[in-house]
Amino acid sequence: MDFLALDILSLHQALLDGKINPIELIKLSIEKAKKDQNNAFEYICEKEALAAAANLDPNKKHNLLWGIPYVLKDNFSTKDIPTTASSNILKGYVPIYSSEVYLRLSEQGAILIGKATLDELAMGGTGMTGHKGFTFNPWDPTHKRMIGGSSCGSAAVVAAGIVPFSIGSDTGDSVRKPASFAALVGMKPTWGRISRFGLFPFAPSLDHVACFTRNVTDSAVVLEALAGRDEKDSSSATAPLEKYSEAIKPDLKGKKFAVIKEINNSISNPYIHAVFDATVKALQERGAIIEYVSMDMKLCKAIYPTYIVISCCEATSNNANLDGIKFGPRFDGKDYEEVMTKARTEGFCEMIKRRFVIGSYALFKDNQAEIFLRAQKVRRLIVDATNKILEKCDAILLPASPTTAPLFNGGNSDKLSNEYLISDNHLAIGNFAGLPSIVLPLGFENGLPFGINVTGKKFAEAEVFSLAKGIEDITKLKDLVAKEDK
Amino acid sequence: MKKVDIPLLKKVANNLMFDMKDSEYNTLLEEFDVILCQMELISEIPGVDDVEPMTFPFDVTTDFLREDIPTTPLAQEEALKNAGEVVDGQIRLPKVVG
Repeated sequence: MDFLALDILSLHQALLDGKINPIELIKLSIEKAKKDQNNAFEYICEKEALAAAANLDPNKKHNLLWGIPYVLKDNFSTKDIPTTASSNILKGYVPIYSSEVYLRLSEQGAILIGKATLDELAMGGTGMTGHKGFTFNPWDPTHKRMIGGSSCGSAAVVAAGIVPFSIGSDTGDSVRKPASFAALVGMKPTWGRISRFGLFPFAPSLDHVACFTRNVTDSAVVLEALAGRDEKDSSSATAPLEKYSEAIKPDLKGKKFAVIKEINNSISNPYIHAVFDATVKALQERGAIIEYVSMDMKLCKAIYPTYIVISCCEATSNNANLDGIKFGPRFDGKDYEEVMTKARTEGFCEMIKRRFVIGSYALFKDNQAEIFLRAQKVRRLIVDATNKILEKCDAILLPASPTTAPLFNGGNSDKLSNEYLISDNHLAIGNFAGLPSIVLPLGFENGLPFGINVTGKKFAEAEVFSLAKGIEDITKLKDLVAKEDK
Repeated sequence: MKKVDIPLLKKVANNLMFDMKDSEYNTLLEEFDVILCQMELISEIPGVDDVEPMTFPFDVTTDFLREDIPTTPLAQEEALKNAGEVVDGQIRLPKVVG
């Protein structure tokens, strides 16, 4: 039996039935990790994982994640385990405390087998900017296509069948877009639902902890383990929790979905439209109600600019602590300014520097009102328009992305086109509004996957999982592992 | 908005305490052509200045004080663990006063 291709619940049962024990399972996972062909790992925690498996408390074996291997994006602090955020400025950095996410998963008995690559400091959506080079999409064994980012490694390890789940962070679509490109379920809950203590901040007003799994139920299982107030994170929510995996009710009868026309219509790929439309029809046949609604086109076209301005501005100030003095590689210099300037010049990739300059430009005294504050105002208008739509329906339904995984050398897309500004970046609405948002597989074009997105009301994760499970029952696309034979 | 040219970009980068190669400044200048067009889209929204800026998705209120329980603070050794140069329990930097 290929245990690593199993979903969390099946693996849990196999562990309970004694078909495999945790140490054997962790060894399998680590062996496969060592053969990773996708440049998905910053660090494989072999010693730490085997020790954790050997020390598992058998009294906790009924926890669904007990003995289950997983991978963390390398921007989550893990005490005594190197954490670089795929940046040279953090080369050799070993945190002295652990993120709440890592602590909660460890408490449940989940075993961390590795830290995954990312776009440097979680900025970027290509999986091309980490200090170890490109991360590849397991669905393209020729390694010509990206898996997307920034949570590129976390997506690759689940798609390649190394672990059944992984953790990422999602600031604009950094888990949900790679999920679309890799036939995975990518879920970010409501802002505040999962503690961000120990997650390296990129843009805190938009940052979310999110997870990758290979089916919807597993996604609910992972959220169950992570959700809940953490006093170490003052932005974490006190809203009541649910037993998400048990609350899933895939009955779609009477459920109302809104399709935002301007976003859907900005997609040019006819095949993605055809599969989406067929799925909409299947939903209707199961009793769901689909309403095509409008959002002001000017607001839609402002989605990407709003995101880039707010995220760059927040990132510029948040990363001022990366100075090469308290941690990171140390350079010589005649004064501390030269030490710091050398560290940041050598430590950041070109893309990071460009984003910091853009953020700083938007924060200039002369520009702030016209650019930064206005972006924050547009954010409010987009959020108000989105919540108004959600007042009259259960969720918003859209194709997750306008294309399958792009080629690394596909050339520059037109960054002023409606497709780029709107449908390639619409998932950021979920970050603007902090809404629970899930992507799951919708179809394949020429062997490459693409996904569908369901975004629900604030703290309505259980409803989002139920609606997504209803769609998963229609597509029957679940538990997919990429075959990597060249 | 401030006019964008290479000297301005260099000044911003240096204020942010890093430098870039000449070719990277040229790429960034080209990128600004697009970015400024995208930023203009923000200004075209009707009624944009009639609303308050949104700084977070929604308010999360923390309105209680934690229990006053003594905890062990960060040990000096741990705090300095990742620093490149440490002397006598302090991070060493180049001398700034003669």
